[in-house]
Amino acid sequence: MNDAKLDFLKELANIGTGHATTALSQMLSGRLFQLVVPDAQMLPFAEAAEYVGGAEQVVVGIFVVVSGDVKGHMAFLLPLDSALVLLRLLIGDNSGEMNELARSALQEIGNIMITSYLNALSKMTNLLMAPSVPGVAIDMAGAVWQSVLAGAQVTNEVTVIRTEFFADGESIEGNIIFLPDDDDFKKIARLLGLGEM
Amino acid sequence: MAEVFVNMGQISSFKTQGILTTVGLGSCIGVTLYDDVAKVGVMGHIFLPRSREKDVGAPPGKYADTGIPAMINEAVKLGAKQSRLKAKMAGGANLFPNLSANSTSIGQQNIDAVTEHLKKHGIAIVGKDVAGGYGRKMRFFVDTGIVTVTAIGKDAVEI
Amino acid sequence: MAKTVMITDDTAFMRMTLKNVIEKNGYSVVGEAGDGEEAVALYRELRPDMVTMDITMPKMDGITAIKEIMKIDPQAKIIVCSAMGQKPMVIEALSAGAKDFLVKPFDAERVVESLRKIGS
Repeated sequence: MNDAKLDFLKELANIGTGHATTALSQMLSGRLFQLVVPDAQMLPFAEAAEYVGGAEQVVVGIFVVVSGDVKGHMAFLLPLDSALVLLRLLIGDNSGEMNELARSALQEIGNIMITSYLNALSKMTNLLMAPSVPGVAIDMAGAVWQSVLAGAQVTNEVTVIRTEFFADGESIEGNIIFLPDDDDFKKIARLLGLGEM
Repeated sequence: MAEVFVNMGQISSFKTQGILTTVGLGSCIGVTLYDDVAKVGVMGHIFLPRSREKDVGAPPGKYADTGIPAMINEAVKLGAKQSRLKAKMAGGANLFPNLSANSTSIGQQNIDAVTEHLKKHGIAIVGKDVAGGYGRKMRFFVDTGIVTVTAIGKDAVEI
Repeated sequence: MAKTVMITDDTAFMRMTLKNVIEKNGYSVVGEAGDGEEAVALYRELRPDMVTMDITMPKMDGITAIKEIMKIDPQAKIIVCSAMGQKPMVIEALSAGAKDFLVKPFDAERVVESLRKIGS
């Protein structure tokens, strides 16, 4: 594992999640903040397969295709109980019921998180990174995670950024998965002055 | 009884008894092969339909084209007879339908590929629970050959 | 006299949020569209005073919808409300004829400020 590559990823993670957190916090009228420095990892496929501890735990997954100067995919995954906390804060819904409005609120949260992340990277690199309309799945973590990896046609390495938020006395966990196509990852690195990766 | 979890791209087997389980079946296909005379059971968790040159050193079980032959070999090594092998499959779902609106979803491609390769090797598919928009868990009881499939909010089915 | 607004966004949640803000501030929401195609059709039918427009939507995206609506009515007052705030996108939207570009998430004041500015 290339140290320079990992440091670069952590840098991207910091910048991107910083923006995404600010965006999410604004949606919640400032009641949310980031608890820990985001932890960026580059996982080889076999490990990525095991990344989701508790493969039967229910998660909400929001998945987009990225196009423009950078092509690839991005996903935002959060455990269902974290999603329910966000829903409670955002639409005042305590029922835990996953109705139309709740689903659409989760889709919008994911959309804003992912797009804010891309906006930050875009600003730094001057590369256009446009997300598609998001897909939302609420299902077993293993199945959602695996569908994201297959949808992105991941070959070897997966970049995962795990971050934890704190809102209204509760901890919210989120995973941002950034999956640029191989060549585009190199393009970003080069533009940020990090030489050949 | 021993239980082994089969993760993406992996292949595992038991002779006589044991439980083979795979949990993260979204677009992936869980495939089981069973020789009920020799009581040999093999399970694979297929990720994509076709192997890719750039995926150097990939385990054969990751792709349908390399995975099915690899599963057959493992079964035969444990004492199964290829002619007696029967297959069951689960998965191939499409959890994010809007992302493949204009093309065949990966899940469907996997279903087609696994079906094609089993047919090519003369193995009959005797049970399946595939497609749809939800994730599945598959459990294979090698002592009896029974395969159960579960999903959130659905009753378990035996295939 | 309350000005009429049509809201365009592919998520029900955002349409609801915008509707609440807009109506609380003296405007009336006369239509809601879930994609660009619906927005164009509804614009033709309703001729609202102002339109809020998302960019990333199924069937027809916001930029295309802006262009289509401007063809119907070159005086159309369209305010973009989108998470996609990258410069090329903002430029494209404004070139297509949008009068303002709000990046999500935006606060209520910003929306009202834009409506007042554009509506006058």
